[in-house]
Amino acid sequence: MSTLTLRPAKNAHGTSRPRRNVDYVRVGLWLALAVTMVIWAMPLIFVMFTSLKSEAAIFSTSSFSLPAAAEWQNYADALETGNLLTAGGNSLLIAAIKVPLGLLFSAAAAFGLSRIRFRHSKLILGAFALGSMVPIQVALGPLFKIILDLGMLNSPLGVILPYIGFGLPIQIFILHGFFSAIPKEIDESVRVDGGGNWRLFWQIILPLSKPALAALFILDFVATWNEYAIALVILQDQAAQTIPLAIQGFQSQFTSSYGPLNAFTIMSILPVLIVYLLFQRYFVEGMFSGAVKG
Amino acid sequence: MSKLTATRLQTPPVPVPRQPPKKPLLKRLASGGFIAALPFLAPALAAYVVFVIGPMVSAVRLSLYEWSGFNTDPQVFVGFQNYVRLFTQDAVFWTALQNTVIWVLLSLVIPTTLGLVMALSLNRPIFGRNLFRSVFYIPGVLAPIAIANMWRWMYNPNYGVFSELAKAWHLGDGSGVTFLSDPKVAIYAIFAAFVWQIAGLNMVLFLAGLQSVSKELVESARLDGANNWKVFRHVTFPALRPTIVVVMVLTIVHSIKVFDLVVGMTGGGPAQSSQVLALWSYSQSFLQHDFGMGNAIATVLLAITLVLVIPYLIWSTKGNED
Repeated sequence: MSTLTLRPAKNAHGTSRPRRNVDYVRVGLWLALAVTMVIWAMPLIFVMFTSLKSEAAIFSTSSFSLPAAAEWQNYADALETGNLLTAGGNSLLIAAIKVPLGLLFSAAAAFGLSRIRFRHSKLILGAFALGSMVPIQVALGPLFKIILDLGMLNSPLGVILPYIGFGLPIQIFILHGFFSAIPKEIDESVRVDGGGNWRLFWQIILPLSKPALAALFILDFVATWNEYAIALVILQDQAAQTIPLAIQGFQSQFTSSYGPLNAFTIMSILPVLIVYLLFQRYFVEGMFSGAVKG
Repeated sequence: MSKLTATRLQTPPVPVPRQPPKKPLLKRLASGGFIAALPFLAPALAAYVVFVIGPMVSAVRLSLYEWSGFNTDPQVFVGFQNYVRLFTQDAVFWTALQNTVIWVLLSLVIPTTLGLVMALSLNRPIFGRNLFRSVFYIPGVLAPIAIANMWRWMYNPNYGVFSELAKAWHLGDGSGVTFLSDPKVAIYAIFAAFVWQIAGLNMVLFLAGLQSVSKELVESARLDGANNWKVFRHVTFPALRPTIVVVMVLTIVHSIKVFDLVVGMTGGGPAQSSQVLALWSYSQSFLQHDFGMGNAIATVLLAITLVLVIPYLIWSTKGNED
C-alpha cells in the first residue's frame, strides 16, 4: 500500500496545477481509484493464483497468498480432461465465418437504408433496432425447432445462422449512423461518373468506414466467442461444443478440482484478453460510435 | 429567325448542356427506390426474418399450445391455459419475475452510478489513467459464463476469498460464507458479479458522452465561481442526458437477458430462489420439455421488453430525423 501512496504525491507535484489544496483532492481521488482498481482486479488475480497452486496449497494457504511454486500441472490436467482444444477450434471456426459474413450483411443493409432513398426505410430501420433489444432467450424454443428441421443440430452452421440474425440489429444501427454521416455529395459525384450503387458501396462507403467496421469486427468477435444461450440449445454433442459450453461442462464435471478448474477458466478467457490488449482502441471506438449514435 | 439569334446571343455555353443530364439523374434517384435497395437489404432481411422475427412470433404462437418440443409429438392448441397455469400455479414464475424486476431496478442504480463516477474521475489527465480504464473495462469482454465460474470460486464456502475474509475479520459463525446457497442472498451475490461485469462498459459509454460536454462552458462556469458540484449539476449533467438514456436502456436490456451468470453460479437455486425469467423459460422448454409453458414465459419476457423499450425507440428515431 505504501508504494501506492507515494506515487500520486510525486505525480501531483510534477504535473498538476500550482494550487496545493487542489492536489489533496487529486491525491484522494487517485487513491480511491487505485483501491477500486485493486478490488476490480481481484477476481482475475485470485483465479490466476488458484490456477497455479497445488491442491494441498489451495487447501492450506490463503487465497491471497502467491503460489509458492507454479503448478503448471493444473493447466496440463485441464487441457487433458477438458474439451478445451476441440471447443476452441469450434469457437474459432464459428467466429471466422460468422463475424465477416454478418458484418458484410449488416454493412450492405445499412448502406441500403442510409444511401438509397425509398419509402418506409425508417420503418425497416426501426424493425431492426427493435431486434437489438429483445432477449435472445425469447426465441430459444422456436429457434431450436427451426435448426432441428434444417438438420443443423450440432453443426457449426446451426449456430452461425442464428448468430448472424441476432448480430445484425445493433451493427446495422451503428453503421447506419456512420454511413449517414458521410456527405451525400460523394454519391452524386460517383453517379455522375456513371457508377452505380455497388461501386458506391464497395469503393467509397466501405473504405471510408474502415474504423467503424474494424471496431465492430472486434466487438462481434468477442460477442460470438462468448455466446452461451443459443449454443447451449443447438450444440448438444461434446464434439460440437464451443468454449462457453466447455467451461460450464468442465465446471459441472470437476466441481472440486479447484486447480484445474481455474486453469481452465484462465485458458478460456486468454484469447479474448489478448484480442482486447491488441485491439484496445477499437473497443473504445466501437462503443463510442454506438454511443454517439444514441 | 429572331428566336435563333436570341438563343445564340443570350445563352452562355455552360448551363445548357448541364441541364439535361441532371433531370434523368434525379428521376433515377426517385424511381430507383426500394428495388435498388433490395439487393443490399435482402441477405440481412432474410436472416433477420427467419432467425429473429420468425422465432419470436413462433414463441407467441407456441405459448397457446401444449407441446413437448419433440417433433414426433403433436402440438395441441390449448388457448390461454398455459398462461392460467403460469399465473396461478407456478410459484417459481413469480419468484423469477420478482428477481428480474429487482435486477432491473438495482442495475439502474448501482452499475450506472459506479460507471458514471469512474468516467468522471477518469475524464481528466491522471496518472495511470489507461491502466484504470482497462482494469475497469476488461470484465466486460469476458464470457459471462467464465465470470460466473470465477465468482463461484470466490464464493466457495471453504476456500473462497469471501470466506477467508469473513474468518479473518471474525464475521459470521466461522463456518464460512454461504452466499450462493442462501436462498435470501443468492440473487444478490450473482448481482455483484453483474456489477463487476458491466460497470466498466457503462464507464466507457459515459466517457464517450463526456466528450460532448463543452469545455468552454465548464471553464466559464468555473470563472463564475461554480464549484465542482455546481459545474456537474448545471453543465455536465444536462449535456450527458442523451448518454444517460442510452446507458439506462442498455442496462435494462442487459438485465432482462441475464442468463449465463445465473446458470453458472446457482442454476437458479437453491430451491429456485435465484431464478430469473430468461432462465425459467429455458428450463421449462428444455429441461421440463414443456414448450407451452416455456414459450408463455418467453412471451411475458417479450412483452416486458417491448413495454420498456418501445418508448425509447420512438424517442430516438424522432430525434434522428432532425
